[in-house]
Amino acid sequence: MATARQRLLKEYKEATKQKQDTGIALIPDETNLFAWRARLQAPKDTPYEGGSFELAITVPEQYPLVPPSVRFRTKVFHPNMHFKTGEVCLDILKTAWSPAWTLHSVCQAIMALLSDPAADSPLNCDAGNLLRAGDMRGYNCMARMYTIEYAMQ
Amino acid sequence: MSDSEEYASGSLMEDEEEEEQESASDQEKDFGLDNSVTVSKKPAYRILKGETLEERRKQALEEVTGVLGITEEDAARLLRRFKWDVTRVHEEWFSNYDAVRASVGLQDEAPVPSTSQATCMICFESYPTDQMYSASCRHLFCHDCWQGYTSTAIADGPACLDLRCPDPKCTACVPTSIIKRTAPPEALAKYQSFCVRSFVEDNRSLVWCVGRGCECAVECCVDRTADEALDVICSSCGATFCFNCKEEAHRPVSCEWVRKWAIKNSAESENVHWIIANTKPCPRCSRPIEKNQGCMHMTCSQCRFEFCWLCQGDWKEHGDRTGGFFNCNRYDAAKRKGDYDEETRKRDNAKQSLERYMHYFERWDAHQKARNKAKADQARISADWLERLSEQTKTPSSQLKFIMDAWSQIIECRRVLSWTYTYGYYALEDMDHKASSTKEGNSSAEENQRFFFEFLQADAERSLERLHEAAEVQLKKVMENNSTAQGNGAPLDLDSFMAFRTHLIGLTDVTRGYFEKLVRQLEKGFEDLERDFGGGSAEEAALIETTL
Ligand SMILES: [Zn+2]
Ligand SMILES: [Zn+2]
Ligand SMILES: [Zn+2]
Ligand SMILES: [Zn+2]
Ligand SMILES: [Zn+2]
Ligand SMILES: [Zn+2]
Repeated sequence: MATARQRLLKEYKEATKQKQDTGIALIPDETNLFAWRARLQAPKDTPYEGGSFELAITVPEQYPLVPPSVRFRTKVFHPNMHFKTGEVCLDILKTAWSPAWTLHSVCQAIMALLSDPAADSPLNCDAGNLLRAGDMRGYNCMARMYTIEYAMQ
Repeated sequence: MSDSEEYASGSLMEDEEEEEQESASDQEKDFGLDNSVTVSKKPAYRILKGETLEERRKQALEEVTGVLGITEEDAARLLRRFKWDVTRVHEEWFSNYDAVRASVGLQDEAPVPSTSQATCMICFESYPTDQMYSASCRHLFCHDCWQGYTSTAIADGPACLDLRCPDPKCTACVPTSIIKRTAPPEALAKYQSFCVRSFVEDNRSLVWCVGRGCECAVECCVDRTADEALDVICSSCGATFCFNCKEEAHRPVSCEWVRKWAIKNSAESENVHWIIANTKPCPRCSRPIEKNQGCMHMTCSQCRFEFCWLCQGDWKEHGDRTGGFFNCNRYDAAKRKGDYDEETRKRDNAKQSLERYMHYFERWDAHQKARNKAKADQARISADWLERLSEQTKTPSSQLKFIMDAWSQIIECRRVLSWTYTYGYYALEDMDHKASSTKEGNSSAEENQRFFFEFLQADAERSLERLHEAAEVQLKKVMENNSTAQGNGAPLDLDSFMAFRTHLIGLTDVTRGYFEKLVRQLEKGFEDLERDFGGGSAEEAALIETTL
């Protein structure tokens, strides 16, 4: 098994190539290869469109055998993201993790989650309740409002 | 005596047969001395030793590999998926072939890649393909990455038995050959033990014996509803436990009440445990007395006052002739029926419910402790006395088994008795509350139910106290007499020893009968109590006197 460091170096090289077209920019901390920042350009046709969201990614030493932990640094109104702590509820970051996932594919999965929220097991109950009640207008409105307030300068 | 046989296998009985027996004893009204002869019983459970388990596991695997023509490894996947139900595996395989195969990760072999080099999708290094492995899907990973993958999965627990290809989009199962090739020796040993343990742990009709270091499993041979209790005795290590909830065996109480009781005890423990110290002052001279004997009959070492550990009343008042023994079990709600005004009553309510709980807890706890003490005593007697007694009485030790039998019965009775207080706590709950919150108190039907419950309990308890005293105090006397006799070179009093033997065997049988009756009655519930025991209780009591 390549060490986490070797694998992260490879991911770094890969990330510098990919950032323009995918809407995902991944950069490690200048002094610490185990702490990363990601900037997501929110997907089109979502209430988050036009917003730019920053993620803090902490990579454990046993990576990639165990998943990294990911937190939103930008406030976001979404049923699977905690409004205060920025915690993300995503199966691949827990039990469904596979070492073949990368930091980049994790970011892609989070982008997909922005487009396609899962109303059950919400971290943000207000957002979850709006979705479960089928109130798309209310949900879009709130998400849009917070996107404008926090994710667009 | 047929009732001894019946009780020993009481927990092994099938429901139908049990009912048959009950109706027989109902007709006879024979005071626990059930004379009905039991016909061939199908046991409710079976104890399976390690070798048998392994045989049964192999047999299940063979049946599946034979019929489906698949490898043992794949057969094990299917059996785990369908809880080791061979018939179900066969049915599913033939009716849902594709779906069943997919559900356990079986796929047709993908074509072997033609390239000689490939990139491992975990470490992103390039390797010659002949140094990489894959499941049937041909997603290649390098040796080191497989090693990390398999050992992490094994460390995470038995779910590793269903390990899939590391490729996130792929569901192919990881073949055992890769695990054998890559997992470090300790991890591999753990993996193999998961494989074997799965036969019990994933099997609906099997559980492990809870006994420390015991490697037996228990197979339930009857239909059980969900959450239905089944008391089990392991014939190998002697552990007693409930098949369903794995707690200490707990007839006649349901698993649900046992859970509630455990929560109650932990929630109330701060209130209660300081009150129930392990010593009590002698009711006459106030010298602190530690409970040293297993039974409730205490004698103060200072003033020789004999009293009851539970109610601290004079033991004389617990005499059999006065019929007063069970007074100490009586939860006396009557004194609360007095003329309290509303204010006082409200203020007292909280205190009362704690007192009520304490009444039952204290007795439950006392019997639990007495049970542990009896276990220790049994072990001590077996280790210290039996051999000596065998020499002194010129009796082969197999003939002295009656002493161990008596102690085993005491241990079991203490357990049952302690659970009857849990039973009482929940079953009499409404009644007790009504009694303390209204002046009217309970209807006479309810009073009767309580009376019969307490009557049964006291009856069984009295019989147990007698057995306990015989097995403890009288045995000691016999031992002491014998050692003095030997010291003086005088001949042994074999006659008195044989009399003791007959006495103890008789007491053990009678006690067993009482407890079986108690358990069966309580399991039937209160509604039936009165019908079955209405009338004749005084005559019963009289008859019991003469029996003993
Ligand atoms: Zn690799
Ligand atoms: Zn695969
Ligand atoms: Zn056992
Ligand atoms: Zn149970
Ligand atoms: Zn005293
Ligand atoms: Zn008493």
